[in-house]
Amino acid sequence: MVELRSTGKPRAAVRTWTSFMTDFSIIGKPIAMVDAAEKTTGAGKYTDDLSLPGMLIGKILHSPHPHARIKRIDTSRAQKLNDVIAVVVGADAPNPYGILPVGHDEHALAIDKVRYIGDNLACVVAVSEATAEAALELVEVEYEILPAYFDPEESMKAESNLIHDNKPHNLEKDYHHTFGDPDKGFAQSDYVTESRYLANEVTHAAMEPHSTLASFDIDSQTGQAGRLTVWSSTQVPYYLQHKLSLVLDMPMSQIRVIKPLVGGGFGGKSEVIPLEIIAAVAARKAKAPVKITYTREEVFWAHRGRPRTIIDLKTGVKNDGRITAVKARVVQDGGAYCSYGVVTILYSGALLGALYDIPNIHYDGYRVLTNKPACGAMRGHGTVNVRFAFESQLDEIAGRLQIDPAEIRRRNLLKPPCITVNGLRVQSYGLPECIDKIVERSGWKSRKGKMPKSRGLGIACSHYVSGAANSIIRSDMPHSTVNIKIDRDGGVVVYTGASEIGQGSDTMTAQVAAETLGCALSRIKIVAADTDLTPIDIGSYSSRVTFMAGNATMRAAQEVKKQIASAAAKKMNCAPEDLVFRDDSVFKQSTDHVGAGLRPAQEEQNSASVSGRVEGQILRGSLQQKRKDEGPKDSMSFEEAVVATIDFHGALTGTGSYAPPLEARGGKHKGGGVGPSPAYSYSAQVAEVSVDEDTGEVTVHKVWAAHDCGRALNPVSVEGQIIGSVWMGMGQALTEEMVWKDGLLMNPGLLEYRSPSSVESPEIEPIIVESIDPEGPFGAKECSEGSLAATIPAIANAIYDAVGIRLRESPFTPERVLAALRAKKNAKTLDMTEGVDPTAPVRLREHGGALWFKGKGPERHELDPARRTEGG
Amino acid sequence: MSLADFKLLRPRTLDEAISLLAPQAGEGARATRVIAGGTDLIPSMRQKLFEPEYVLDIRQIAELKGIRETEQGTEIGALTTLSCIERSSVLKQHYPVLVEAAKTVASPVIRNMATLGGNICLDTRCLWYNQSLTWRKSCGFCIKKDGDLCHVAAGGKKCWAAFSGDTPAALLCLEAEIELAGPQGTRRLPLNDFYTGEGDSYRRLQLNELLTRIILPKATADLSGTYRKLRIRGSIDYPLAGVAITLKCLNGHIESGRIALTAVNPAPVLVKKASEVLQGKRLDEELAELVGDLAAKTAKPLTTSALTPEYRREMIRVFTKRALLALAN
Repeated sequence: MVELRSTGKPRAAVRTWTSFMTDFSIIGKPIAMVDAAEKTTGAGKYTDDLSLPGMLIGKILHSPHPHARIKRIDTSRAQKLNDVIAVVVGADAPNPYGILPVGHDEHALAIDKVRYIGDNLACVVAVSEATAEAALELVEVEYEILPAYFDPEESMKAESNLIHDNKPHNLEKDYHHTFGDPDKGFAQSDYVTESRYLANEVTHAAMEPHSTLASFDIDSQTGQAGRLTVWSSTQVPYYLQHKLSLVLDMPMSQIRVIKPLVGGGFGGKSEVIPLEIIAAVAARKAKAPVKITYTREEVFWAHRGRPRTIIDLKTGVKNDGRITAVKARVVQDGGAYCSYGVVTILYSGALLGALYDIPNIHYDGYRVLTNKPACGAMRGHGTVNVRFAFESQLDEIAGRLQIDPAEIRRRNLLKPPCITVNGLRVQSYGLPECIDKIVERSGWKSRKGKMPKSRGLGIACSHYVSGAANSIIRSDMPHSTVNIKIDRDGGVVVYTGASEIGQGSDTMTAQVAAETLGCALSRIKIVAADTDLTPIDIGSYSSRVTFMAGNATMRAAQEVKKQIASAAAKKMNCAPEDLVFRDDSVFKQSTDHVGAGLRPAQEEQNSASVSGRVEGQILRGSLQQKRKDEGPKDSMSFEEAVVATIDFHGALTGTGSYAPPLEARGGKHKGGGVGPSPAYSYSAQVAEVSVDEDTGEVTVHKVWAAHDCGRALNPVSVEGQIIGSVWMGMGQALTEEMVWKDGLLMNPGLLEYRSPSSVESPEIEPIIVESIDPEGPFGAKECSEGSLAATIPAIANAIYDAVGIRLRESPFTPERVLAALRAKKNAKTLDMTEGVDPTAPVRLREHGGALWFKGKGPERHELDPARRTEGG
Repeated sequence: MSLADFKLLRPRTLDEAISLLAPQAGEGARATRVIAGGTDLIPSMRQKLFEPEYVLDIRQIAELKGIRETEQGTEIGALTTLSCIERSSVLKQHYPVLVEAAKTVASPVIRNMATLGGNICLDTRCLWYNQSLTWRKSCGFCIKKDGDLCHVAAGGKKCWAAFSGDTPAALLCLEAEIELAGPQGTRRLPLNDFYTGEGDSYRRLQLNELLTRIILPKATADLSGTYRKLRIRGSIDYPLAGVAITLKCLNGHIESGRIALTAVNPAPVLVKKASEVLQGKRLDEELAELVGDLAAKTAKPLTTSALTPEYRREMIRVFTKRALLALAN
């Protein structure tokens, strides 16, 4: 850690729910999401709600084999079925693509090989879903079955039958980073501990399944297919536009991507998903609009969730608890394609830093290919599983050294502003306050160690980036650009490429614009995520929107405000700098602005002041004339000021962009581009759990979750994000697990993939900590992801506190907990976990099942073409 | 996953239903299916587990609804919803174990649709079976549908899909009888005889027969009882193991006791020896332990669901013991 100039260090302030009385009129107020009404009434339109005249339905044929060469694919029988319009195969769009420039290893539909059960082979376009499904059964595919790889450590030994020919040993990417001098660090330590941790695979389980509607215009000059419009459930419309252009061989300017309402992303829609490309390819061939909506099972195959991870972690500490060195070896079971994998494995290493002061770090990361659906980005991208290991181990160390687990974390704090040993710049740092708050609120000091039998408290911390400082496609382009247009109607239209996916992007944009302009929130109209209308924004991922699009919005608004100020200043006979924009008015700083400042918040937000007696637009000119005659004044309504500006300047528009500063872009080492962020959020949590020692069932009673989000632009929304993160983390900690048997997903549905229900939801007390980041918009930074990672180790540590078992494999299902309890008590041993000891796991387990045909089993279904041939 | 086309038959009386069912019964996957609440049938039809030509909708038949007290006991129409059972004051008073079991089924929304008859007729479940056509094709199908081998029992030719209804365990403890109506009239049989113990052909119901009523005998009214269900989530989930117990105690001694298990065998089963062991004894920790072991021996869970079979069997033991001790107090 290199300490930077420490003057001007922002001091964190802790605020409670009711004390959000700031100098702002819209920022910091708990306002309803701007799209809340349409979502709660059902009036809002998601992609699957859309329909176009002549629209057809696409259905995708998926591979039944985990790894096979396609010897022959014959679609002729399917094509002949009534009401089938087209059948698309790999050859119809052979260009490869992938979200990362280094990982263009996917095809719209498989060309020569299938690489996981569920891989995409063909798409039937028909007038109805049932017809398309029936036609899928008529597509004949002949395979040459290849040996498949399911366990990442086995896969790394592969010499032949590689998943991708250009990836020896099925290794997508490996990184070996050394920062400081880890050997020396371990040598200097008084105590070293080392363990293996396993985190099983989880997925986003967003409420809305992926859906895409693609439609080509007919070019008026040529009569051929012209421009393409795609409506899709995406977090990244601009990346989708880019990848469509690659695969379809079309210029980006001929492709328009529109993002309707999205029912949750969590990272599962943060890259181009096969159906988005397939729908466009199918629409081109069918010469008609095509919609594809995934079934829930297909969502699980598209996946891109958090990979199964093996973490071998070693930590060295001094007797006082100060960390001297950390060594981590991380193996990720990445599935059959690269996806975001290279970024995931880098985040896992890079974000060992920036939470605590660790002087020496060694990191070996392996992203491994296996014959399973691809893993990608998921809430807390890359950090969550390693954080589970790290915070569990730190708890263990605290126990060994007899240091309070909250105290050991305090002894390892960074001293910001600083640059960590691995090159991450930290400015605002609310972690100390987060720890203080949860210790206080949970009664940690008086209750820890004095809990009733089988009940315990656990603490853990986490952090996350507020957007990546380096875009995945290297360029000097700003990461976000926002345009604002204000016309004579007094309406403020904000054009932003940022994608609302339920996290509150549109609401944040509206609040930032309204606060900056001092106008009523009701004046703001958001036009978002439409590549034809809105300037480029790289998307809603890595918690970048508030920080980056927020800053861009602020800058665009400031530019417009400057123009309004200059016109209004002339009207008021003062300098533009003397004007205050607030409460839908513009007034001289010196003026005692009675009324506006005292208006109740609700009114401020919802009602735009109407200019005097004037209502119709035609009358506005004469109003202006009248005002002119009245001579100089001390204040104007926002609308009057706008009209005055348009009279002077013509069209009133402004633009603002944001690119992370150079100082925040990280070290120069290979892979150093991932991890750096302009600001980091911080979180600390205490979980209170009880364990049923006869059944192994864990109940989470309460979680105190403090989160440093810089400034809470909308506290009710911040609290929602904290609660959602804790809840999702709890799912990964206790119940959620993708269960595999030789590459076949045993639980591809929400009945058997068990996200917690409302019954299991504990009381969650969100605590907002505001460290006021020097570069964030109004001091804000991320709040949607960082809290997730702390929940898992907080629960693990609470389980240890309750019953003395250290679980090193997640999720902590009752069978794992009971197996560990029995082992501890030396009670009658039952092999409840198929030979894997959850306190000292060695390998990832496969779901039991006595027989497996490896794809060579009897194909006896009456619709199965093979069977039909046999029967004559 | 689309719902394939079928013809919907909507009789208004039981006789009409039987007359429609008999000639159009069909067989195999195309056999006519009866729909009541539809919470089990519709997802299965989407997964192409059933592809009936006809679906017989019995929801219009008023005589199949409601709870009636009679000389012999209490009769429950097969169409009575689980939420209706949950709220029934008669059942709460006299057959609390059934109410408790009904309350644990799925979620409140499902219970508003799902019927007691449907819960009794519930198809057996298995991770290798309750999957889409594409999924099942990728494992070469299984013995219960389209295939000829079982994935959960080595070399198995027997289907081990687990019966996963909650209420039948309670009904077995209550010595419930069921009434079946067919073209030859009605027949009554103990619920215990309804199940075969096979995972595939799991019930003794002719294709032209309908389950019409459930009869709870007077003899088992007012027994104390309880139902314990193993599930990962507190809502939605099917049981991964279930134990129902009824006891009749006199002066601290057990006059009679019955224990039934569900979700750990292809049928809900009574723990036969338990009744003998319990009879005449005073309930204490040791006895509860002994009976728990007996129950665990009766359970034969396999990898048909989440959680390992060993764990599920162990929970049968724990739940039985706990439930007995809870009833003793």
